[in-house]
Amino acid sequence: MLNDVTFGQFYPVDSFVHKLDPRCKLLLLITYIVMIFVADNFYSLAACALVLIIAIAFSRVPVGRVLRSVKGIIFILILTSVLQLFFHSGDHLLWQWGIIKIYREGIIFAIFLVLRLFFLVMASSVLTLTTTPVALTDGIESLLKPLKFIRFPVHELALIMSIALRFIPTLIDETNRIIAAQKARGADFESGNIFKRIKAIVPILIPLLISAFRRAEELGDAMDARCYAGSKNRTKFKKLHFGLRDLAAAFLYGALIAGVILLNIYASQIFPQIYEIIRLSR
Amino acid sequence: MEDKPIVECTGVKFSYPGRQEAALNGVDFCVRRGEFVSIIGHNGSGKSTLARLINGLLVADSGTVNVMGLDVSDDKNAVEVRRHVGMVFQNPDNQMVASIVEDDVAFGPENLGVEREEIGRRIDWALNAVGMEKYRLSTPTRLSGGQKQRIAVAGVLAIKPDILILDESTAMLDPKGRREVIDVVRRLNREEGMTIILITHFMEEALLADRTIVMNRGEIALSGAPEEIFESGDALETFNLSLPRISVICRNLRAAGMDIKDVLRPEELAEEIIKNMNNRGIYAGQSPSFAAKEGLAGGEWDIDIKDLSFVYSKKSPFATKALDGVTLHISEGEFFGIIGHTGSGKSTLVQHLNALIKLPQAQKHFHKKKAKKGRPAPIYPSIKIGKYDLADKKCDFKSLRADVGMVFQYPEYQLFAETVFDDVAFGLKNFNKKLPPEEIERAVKDSLEVVGLDYAELKDKSPFDLSGGQKRRVAIAGVIVTRPDILILDEPAAGLDPKGKREIMELLHKLHREWCKTVIIVSHDMDEIADNCTMAAVISEGKVFACDIPAKLFSRESELLALGLDVPLTEKISSCLKKGGFIVNSDCTVSDFSDKVAGIYTGVGNA
Repeated sequence: MLNDVTFGQFYPVDSFVHKLDPRCKLLLLITYIVMIFVADNFYSLAACALVLIIAIAFSRVPVGRVLRSVKGIIFILILTSVLQLFFHSGDHLLWQWGIIKIYREGIIFAIFLVLRLFFLVMASSVLTLTTTPVALTDGIESLLKPLKFIRFPVHELALIMSIALRFIPTLIDETNRIIAAQKARGADFESGNIFKRIKAIVPILIPLLISAFRRAEELGDAMDARCYAGSKNRTKFKKLHFGLRDLAAAFLYGALIAGVILLNIYASQIFPQIYEIIRLSR
Repeated sequence: MEDKPIVECTGVKFSYPGRQEAALNGVDFCVRRGEFVSIIGHNGSGKSTLARLINGLLVADSGTVNVMGLDVSDDKNAVEVRRHVGMVFQNPDNQMVASIVEDDVAFGPENLGVEREEIGRRIDWALNAVGMEKYRLSTPTRLSGGQKQRIAVAGVLAIKPDILILDESTAMLDPKGRREVIDVVRRLNREEGMTIILITHFMEEALLADRTIVMNRGEIALSGAPEEIFESGDALETFNLSLPRISVICRNLRAAGMDIKDVLRPEELAEEIIKNMNNRGIYAGQSPSFAAKEGLAGGEWDIDIKDLSFVYSKKSPFATKALDGVTLHISEGEFFGIIGHTGSGKSTLVQHLNALIKLPQAQKHFHKKKAKKGRPAPIYPSIKIGKYDLADKKCDFKSLRADVGMVFQYPEYQLFAETVFDDVAFGLKNFNKKLPPEEIERAVKDSLEVVGLDYAELKDKSPFDLSGGQKRRVAIAGVIVTRPDILILDEPAAGLDPKGKREIMELLHKLHREWCKTVIIVSHDMDEIADNCTMAAVISEGKVFACDIPAKLFSRESELLALGLDVPLTEKISSCLKKGGFIVNSDCTVSDFSDKVAGIYTGVGNA
């Protein structure tokens, strides 16, 4: 039931993308997300798609595995696209029923929006599938380092994140175990109305919370016993290195930025007839 | 060797806030450099508290604790003390900080500000010392319990401590994992000269130390060489501990007139026995073979499993075959044991028995595949339990779950309700929504009383205010309250102290006699199986390796050892005796074994 949590699940193969510096990957992801939203027409969005395809191909993660991450947001995708369909106005009215009007521009825009979200989630999961949680938090910690000057607890934040990630699988296992145990006592989580279902969660939630607190306490002791005393005088075993690979990836993204900007400017001149149809009205 | 003790406690007193009884009540305790000390004691005897005082996780109310000349109570020394005293805890999962083995091992040295290159060397050394160098880049969550705990040991070793404390670090492991950890610890003590303080519930582990300390109610009750401690016999029982099984056999044989010294290893005991026999002029002998009990004829509640296979996380890189063609018959009335180490598939097997994992045919979207030409028709598993056919979609799974009760590992962790009464009644109300309150009350009262708890005293208490042993009993009551005919328990005695273990097994026998027709326990404790079960199956790598009465099962010693499993102590002694010409046909229980050996000695049962 809870085994399909792709987030934070590292996919262990050795690939170009896996070997990239996590900071590089984080920065590239941010760039990519910005580019998705800078792209204002289908041509530049196609450039984004191309980069995503290249990234997935070089990551050697099965496409199905990456696609699975979208499953979680399907509901949001459908909801936003339906809302766009109904509330987006334009010049080409296609269908009308009472006050509900559907324009061609609405459909185009809904597709555009869904693709944007789709790429966003896919790109993020390429990052999480190819980067161990530890590397990820190291990367975040390193990128946030400048904030130390304003006394922002960067190290503590990174440690909290990495511990949270470390305990996700443990707590999922635990949840499954508790669910099984309460099911064995006749608990029913699948039927009944919403209130009944919420009530049915109590026998899972309470043991889970208690166990989480117990674990936290024990972990605290174990960390104390291993001489943890905050970030002062602490060394780091893993050092991050920007390498040639990162440079190559950065070049690809440079090309992406240039491509998106150029396509944004010149979009109307590429196949003008098609552009007229798929144009997003402002 | 220095003469000054490396750890020195004098007059240490400690009580937890909000509790009346002192956890430690004037403890004087010394450890010399390079010593291997084991500490045993019932739950709540203060042994863990003592460990926490030594590395400064707790600070004594009065008295002094000194580690290598440092006063532990001084806050300034905290890190310095912990640099010298490494501590491994009980639950391996709760000690891991990082998601990758080497990062986790690096955590300690990082905290101490060790140079990068040196951390690398320490990781190499520590992982090597625990024999886990191959797993340097693995994820701890995917390792076995024993492996995880060895990583935890490595994480502590990387700090380069002088003293290593293990606080019940083997309690949650299977015999294989326990052996792995203990081997590592012994090697560290012998080869690196590391001082070891081992806190344990397993008497057999305590025997391995140079010195054993027995704690009772916050005081040190006994201290001395393990041989001396276990000679004291009855005294141990008063401290809620049990004698190691080997000491029980020694005493039984002495009572039968044999001149047996207290020894701690099966080979030594066999030697002693042979010496005795030879002194009496007996050079070979065979006990009468025990009346091999036939399997039960079976009845209405037989369990019949055929061709059961199961794969976890199908179609992912982590796909693991948990069960591979299991066929097994469990007759009504058995006290059945399922043996296997962690990951053998035994838990997956029992979860099928009350349809927590449904057979593929019983799942919503199942369609029978058409047999393809040239390929054998697919084999579908089947499970039948009494009147229930678990392969049938229309099977009443809810009433099956009421009839086949299932107690999970550490069931006390599933308690949730505000009162003991509500928690026990939870299952009952789920299975039968229309049950009148007075009947619920009666059922809850009955089941609490059968597990040995006082209904009137406990029913309105919060389950979280109870002691560990009481919680487990409440959890068991919450399952048997529906009066299941078959009761399945996954590691019912795990994590309890010796007395608690004995009491739980007694409870299960009582339930077997009075409440349930069949009791199935999943266990990796061979002695527990030998002592309690009428029939047992060994599961290994998802297959049934053997299913037989325990005595016959355990006679295949070499095969079981090859599977990484153990055999009961009695079987170990038997096989040594066999080499000396004495064949003891016992049913593997301690008492029967002692009787049979004594029989050969006195010539009563000599064939």
